[in-house]
Amino acid sequence: MTDTLAPAIHAKIKAYLERLDVAVGSFPHAEARDIVREIQAHISDKLGGDSNDAAVEQVLASLGPPEALARNFRMELLLTRASRSFSPWFLLRTTGRWARTGAKAFAVFMIALVGYSVGLALTTTLIMKPFVPSVGLWVGQGSLDFGTPSNMAHMHELLGQAYVPVTTALAFVIVFGTTRALQWLIQKRSPYAPSYR
Amino acid sequence: MAKNGNSAPSDGWEAQLRKGCLEMAILAALWDRRLYGLEILRALSSRSKMDIAEGTIYPILARLKAEGLLQSEWVGAEAGHPRKYYWLTAVGRRRLKEQIDSWMSFSSNLSAMLQPIIGGDR
Repeated sequence: MTDTLAPAIHAKIKAYLERLDVAVGSFPHAEARDIVREIQAHISDKLGGDSNDAAVEQVLASLGPPEALARNFRMELLLTRASRSFSPWFLLRTTGRWARTGAKAFAVFMIALVGYSVGLALTTTLIMKPFVPSVGLWVGQGSLDFGTPSNMAHMHELLGQAYVPVTTALAFVIVFGTTRALQWLIQKRSPYAPSYR
Repeated sequence: MAKNGNSAPSDGWEAQLRKGCLEMAILAALWDRRLYGLEILRALSSRSKMDIAEGTIYPILARLKAEGLLQSEWVGAEAGHPRKYYWLTAVGRRRLKEQIDSWMSFSSNLSAMLQPIIGGDR
């Protein structure tokens, strides 16, 4: 137990745990409390009976800064949750955070960004369609445009009445496909914990 | 990530190899017993010579639990404070067996390739 330790050592451990408590502050309450308790138990067990200042320093150093510890917990838990999530917003946010940790994670984030942007753009054209009837799939002059082209003169619309059902299906396939791809890529991430910086 | 591969190339390679096997080693440590975090660290260090930074084990345990491979419970100990014990779920046992299968076939195939080199050196 930490309360049998000398006051200075006790204060050092307490300060570490308080910093950890703040760092996990945004976690669900039960999870946060669990983490702090577990680390507290770890410190007590490592120190055992004989605890001097150097031993405490060594134990805390081997745990790393509490903020880094909290970051590793958050990343592991977020990615696990994201690998099962069907929420584009959650997947985008999580991969965005993950993107800072390396090139592969950044590439995954780019897939999320592109896939969901295209899905959003297509959905926007669907919402516009009742108000702006010229919205459609326009081809001509070597280009293919969803929406309303600036110069309709040399272009024609392909889908006509089928615009809404076809675009709805396309948007769904792109968003759903992006979601499944992200889930898969997150699941296939390296099965160990790199140090998330 | 780059932090770990910065010493001699062979050290970086070995570190990557160990890290890649870390999950399997954690699951293996829990095969026939319930352990708390520090005991898992000690099992890794003494039985597989895997010394990892102590702070890294707890986030990994949290993930393995979130993935349904482990279950945990707080147990009050004679030490005076409760400890969080982990054990394998059925899913965890299955995952471990799959990993062992891949590991065994991978390492025996590679050994077959390395054998002539080891023999030829003598």
